Amino acid sequence: MARDPKYDILFEPIQLGPKTMKNRFYQIPHCNGFGSEKPLSQAYFRALKAEGGYGACCTEYCSISPESDDTHRVSARLWDDDDIKNLSVMCDMLHEHGALAAAELWYGGPHAPCMESRCVPRGPSQIPSDFEYLTYPKEMDKDDIRQVQQLYVDAAKRAREAGFDIVYVYGSHSYLPQQFLTPYYNKRTDEYGGSFENRARFWRETIEQVREAVGDDTAIAVRMSTDMFMGDVGTQLERDCLPFVELVDDIVDVWDINVSGISEWGEDATPSRFYPSGRMLPWQEAVKKVSKKPVLGVGRFTSPDLMIEAINGGKLDIIATCRPSISDPWLPRKIDEGRLDDIRECIGCNICISRWEIGGPPLICTQNATAGEEYRRGWHPEKFDPAENADNDVLVVGAGPAGMECAMILGKRGMRRVHLVEAEEDMGGIMRWIPQLPGLGEWARVVNYRKIQIDKLRNVEFVPGTTLDANGVKEYGAEIVVIATGAYWATDGLNGCTHDTIPGADAAQPWCLTPEQIMRDGKEVPGNSVVIVDNDGYFMGVSLAEKLASEGKKVTLMTHLGNIAPYMHFTLEAPNQHRKLHKLGVDIIPYHIPSRIEQGSVTATHVYDEEGHEQTWEADAVVLVTQRRSDEALYRELKDRVGFDVLGEEGITGCYRIGDCEAPRLIADCVFSGHRLAREIDSENPEVPKPFIRERRVIERELALA
Amino acid sequence: MKIVVCVKQVAVLGDEVEFTADARDVDPDYLDFALNEWDSYATEEALRIREGLGGEGDEVVVVSVGDEQVENAMRRCLAMGADRAIRVDYARSADPITVARLLAPIAERESPDLVFCGVQSSDGVQAATGTALAELLGLPRVAVVTRIEWDPSAGRATVRRELEGGLIDLTEVDTPALLTIQTGINQPRYANLRAIKQAEQKEIEVVSPAEQGEPAYRVRRMFAPSKGEGAEILAGGPADIARRIREIVEERLK
Amino acid sequence: MKGTLIVAEHLRGELRELTRELVTAAQQLGGPVTVAVIAADPSEFDVGFQGVDEIVNVPLGRQEFENDVYQVALEALIADREPHAVLLGFTVNSMGYGPAVAAKLGLGFASDVHGLALEAGAVIATRSFYGGKVDAELEFRADRAVVLLVRPTAFAPAADGGKASATEFAIELPSARARHLEFEDAAAGDVDITTADFLLSVGRGIGDKEAIPQFEQLADKLGAVLSVSRPLVDAGWMPNARQVGQSGKTVKPKVYLALGISGAVQHLAGMKTSGTIIAVNTDPEAAIFNVAHFGAVADLFDVAAELEKLP
Repeated sequence: MARDPKYDILFEPIQLGPKTMKNRFYQIPHCNGFGSEKPLSQAYFRALKAEGGYGACCTEYCSISPESDDTHRVSARLWDDDDIKNLSVMCDMLHEHGALAAAELWYGGPHAPCMESRCVPRGPSQIPSDFEYLTYPKEMDKDDIRQVQQLYVDAAKRAREAGFDIVYVYGSHSYLPQQFLTPYYNKRTDEYGGSFENRARFWRETIEQVREAVGDDTAIAVRMSTDMFMGDVGTQLERDCLPFVELVDDIVDVWDINVSGISEWGEDATPSRFYPSGRMLPWQEAVKKVSKKPVLGVGRFTSPDLMIEAINGGKLDIIATCRPSISDPWLPRKIDEGRLDDIRECIGCNICISRWEIGGPPLICTQNATAGEEYRRGWHPEKFDPAENADNDVLVVGAGPAGMECAMILGKRGMRRVHLVEAEEDMGGIMRWIPQLPGLGEWARVVNYRKIQIDKLRNVEFVPGTTLDANGVKEYGAEIVVIATGAYWATDGLNGCTHDTIPGADAAQPWCLTPEQIMRDGKEVPGNSVVIVDNDGYFMGVSLAEKLASEGKKVTLMTHLGNIAPYMHFTLEAPNQHRKLHKLGVDIIPYHIPSRIEQGSVTATHVYDEEGHEQTWEADAVVLVTQRRSDEALYRELKDRVGFDVLGEEGITGCYRIGDCEAPRLIADCVFSGHRLAREIDSENPEVPKPFIRERRVIERELALA
Repeated sequence: MKIVVCVKQVAVLGDEVEFTADARDVDPDYLDFALNEWDSYATEEALRIREGLGGEGDEVVVVSVGDEQVENAMRRCLAMGADRAIRVDYARSADPITVARLLAPIAERESPDLVFCGVQSSDGVQAATGTALAELLGLPRVAVVTRIEWDPSAGRATVRRELEGGLIDLTEVDTPALLTIQTGINQPRYANLRAIKQAEQKEIEVVSPAEQGEPAYRVRRMFAPSKGEGAEILAGGPADIARRIREIVEERLK
Repeated sequence: MKGTLIVAEHLRGELRELTRELVTAAQQLGGPVTVAVIAADPSEFDVGFQGVDEIVNVPLGRQEFENDVYQVALEALIADREPHAVLLGFTVNSMGYGPAVAAKLGLGFASDVHGLALEAGAVIATRSFYGGKVDAELEFRADRAVVLLVRPTAFAPAADGGKASATEFAIELPSARARHLEFEDAAAGDVDITTADFLLSVGRGIGDKEAIPQFEQLADKLGAVLSVSRPLVDAGWMPNARQVGQSGKTVKPKVYLALGISGAVQHLAGMKTSGTIIAVNTDPEAAIFNVAHFGAVADLFDVAAELEKLP
């Protein structure tokens, strides 16, 4: 298929200082959990995007010194020559695909807790971080300023040696250079604080020094936040940012423009729940108007039409992506080949970001099960080995995220026939109703993408409106059976706090409901006052609270935790979600667990009250978001009542289960579960995941047998 | 009781197309194949009638014209539950009248009580084979049927014929008859893997083609349709635009 | 000289507009144009359009269509008038007898014809193949007439004011083996957007779920069925049954009026073969304008408000 000529602009090369980028697709610096100490995971992850057509790929934030140590979070590092070696692998692999490599040189200052290095970070003024606890910087004197600037220069040289084509002097997200620029962080009274010119001095000098050191053959990038949305104390577009652009434009080769500080950086990495794509274009455009250099920036761009609108409209020269490059590393190639309906669009759930926020784990992606698995499991999102046992028919029961993914990958691996059987009339499982929660419309892309792909696969057939019992499965005629029947919300208040049910909780009653009863079954929520019992910790409780409060109910959201929906802190959705709930008048009751539920009321105790004093809330309706239970009835019947040996007599050589019906989990993990089984369907024992490579040092020695 | 269902394996063209050297057809490399959607409804309807009558020896027989490739589509019908399949061996693409002439001797030989065809095929969209076949068989016919109530002993059926805009013409037809079946008449069943595998094993009878006579047409040239000049812009303010839209709609819906 | 024979199409006492279109189509072929009206009382229908040379009234016992009757009448007319070409509309009625006549008499045949020409005295018809994705020119045997079923709206309707006079052509009423009993109007109920003649389709441009009732109302008023693009279904504002697009339904109505739909590839795949596509969007570069026949760069709410106001 051919590229639509209207997208040609995206494939035009552009000059970045001394370097030429082959097109307008740029993978912006973003974390993956690999850093410099899992170098092959890092290199394979980035190289996949270069293979997919990206003109440039960046490291994540790349620490220039042990003083800038973000442990427990994982950054890249360029502290010494061995780091150069490790990151050079990434550069070589990117160059093989004709992509430029960029290193985002980072010094965190007060935001870097240095929990591994035990060094002391330096900062413009001694104020603890607004992002971390217990982290104080040393207040920089002139010597400190020179030394830290030298750290940047030394790191830039290491970067060049590793093969990087572009080096950043990175300030966005309230890191050191931007801290100097921002009154919130900079209370200095010397020539590095106060007036705009003074506050800009550190950053300007650092750029000059880095440019002098490496600028003749390496492009200099500056990532700047144009507005921290903190009023006068934060960086502001007109007062600080545009003047800074004008000040240093001559010595910068490419501008990377975003918004927000660090404590609410969800205003930059916008969840789809709150913002559409291209949210930052107005600020990016403002910079483009005053700069003579190329301007790039992100905006959760998944649509090539929005991309060309941004470029043709003079807002950006280069389209940068982070999350859309995670969900589909081959986005540029698919646009080039006219395969727009093969694009796996980012849904803006920020589950990838949540892993970095938690600190430590590698990234995952709801849409792309291979994200993070490129090296350690050898998975490529677009390439599939034919299954060795392809001469088999597979029955997948349940077309939710796990079932759809499994059927799709089995299809791509060439299984003879795959039947994806679903009780409802349409694909999706829980993803048929979850996207109907407030703000989650883009999450339906999980279903839409798979629907289109499955439709294209000639060996995969979707069989809707069909419920199979154990006998139906036995008689179906498949050689391999995969059960993907999902999970349901507990109807009796079973929860992870008391490990018991809640007396009186019974979702068979008209005044007691579970999420799917409301969203999928249309069960009426009676009366006006609603108490939502939320022991889950992620989005279900708050989403239902928002929905019901928007419909005019008086909602009380009760949790045994100290914080409502704590996981949404990691997905950067918490601040805006709290604002919404506050505006809607939702009462949040933390640290409480119900002791009993009756028609018309919920009685609860404070979890730290040793005397167990009870308090009662009026509740015309109670919604139980206490925990989920696997819908394993079919699997259990097949295994326990019918028996796998009997299935074997019918020709069924394997019966597996995936996703929520095995154990409830994140949607991303359901998709992963289906994907993994399909990738390993021809292994010796597909039920057990094959070992993955762990990048670790192994001491070679002879072990004495006991 | 026997119902003959004439089915077609249709060609599906993607977004890219290349033509043969003589520019009279599409390069087959660009074609995908599938059972004609209308024919799965027709097969399902025949199966339901057979199940409703529940007699011993009742048969649903599918017949198709084509080369070995079309047996894939026929096996889908067998997997649904059709009893037998007969293929008229014919390698060229043919106009609907020619296809009718190829089907007629087989249909005649089977002496069916009813003959079903899909209203049209999704690739040819001629909506003609069924009616032409009925003529060659000398059978009464109704085209575009959305409901059938058949009384075999009385020798007639009451059917719903679906006119444009959804208007229904309630029609009585003498049987045996040929009916062309419209989509939506029923919900075609899915075959499980067991049925599909069993259908794979079934023997499909292959017969040589009869005399076809002169074709109804000859393709002189096949080509990609011109893109056109793009949209005609409706000028003026919202009121003018609304008026013009109304005009266009009225014109087009007559 | 050999002429063209047209069979007028009528339903429930109204002459169908496409009869006029067939007259225009006939002009492409030269020669005299004869329009036959078959009904219990053919004179009820005025087919004296410009371009019609002769009107033949064929009075038969029934007013409504029955396929055996029309077949016998057409065969008799063909024997009598020996036309070069017979033009019928590509309609449900014509599907019931046109191919039968061609098969019985060994005539040339093609349906869903949207282009006609005369080259060196021979009829050349243009129709689509492979689901409408390609076109082809067809030629026919020179020594036989050809029966062509012409696509509605492919030709412009002929105007009034012709000078043809009518003659009667009597035939014996054959016994109809398929007999019209009565009409039933389409049942209201579950909406099937794939059968609608006119779809009013809205997209993300309508902004809010609250706007849906307004557009349902407008659709009602216009005589259209409301359909939507995918984002509205994703958000739960409308059921999947209303969705036009790759993961929804493929539609081909006579008229597709798209308000506030930009034309994502997956959406276009579901509607681009519609008869007439009218698109309203504030973005002049919106992809929908590439497939639309008529376009307006305007605010969809403004246009919708004006459509509401029309009598």
